[in-house]
Amino acid sequence: MSESINPDTTIDSRGAACPGPLMDLIGKVKEVDTGTVIELQTSDSGSKDDVPEWLEESGHELLDIVDHGDYWSVYVEKT
Amino acid sequence: MSGYAIVLASGELERIQAVSMIGSIAASSDTPVEVFVTMNGLPAFEKDRVESGDFNVAGPAGEAMLRDEGDDVPLFTEQLSRAKQIGPMSVYACEMVMDIMDNEIDDYVDVFDDVLGVAGFLSHASDKQIIFV
Repeated sequence: MSESINPDTTIDSRGAACPGPLMDLIGKVKEVDTGTVIELQTSDSGSKDDVPEWLEESGHELLDIVDHGDYWSVYVEKT
Repeated sequence: MSGYAIVLASGELERIQAVSMIGSIAASSDTPVEVFVTMNGLPAFEKDRVESGDFNVAGPAGEAMLRDEGDDVPLFTEQLSRAKQIGPMSVYACEMVMDIMDNEIDDYVDVFDDVLGVAGFLSHASDKQIIFV
């Protein structure tokens, strides 16, 4: 399933520690239209777990998290 | 609850970093945050000190952050500046501490919205949950 997600936009937050990747995502979510699919790339394990928490609170949809070995891709759809 | 009013009275890097991170995420998520920087918190925002990285640390987490030199964890000044661009965050400098240390607002890094006294801060905080650090 993960192979089939084509993000409209990608954020490369690899190398940044918590809460950098989440801040990057929130900033992006605010500027795009509803329905936009965002790929957040993060090498921070804590952010990989923290981002879904924020999504649950904010109501945006977590589509998938793909493990690339040295980083994760978190796919999010703005609702 | 309509947001957080954070009193930052500590000059310890760990506490300042925690305030900047938690406040930033809250503000970015549209929760209003007011930070009142007072007592030993304020000298940590002096331009010279921020430039030289001469911060007080309380323990191993702070030492690790100083060694990191901003590669991974952004310094509180950068974090706060960024949050202010994304969400409802205001940062205020305590007038009393500024006066007692013979400083002007220009002696501090450019993150402050205004200089406030206690009454001013309490008025900003009246509808918020106060967190004292």
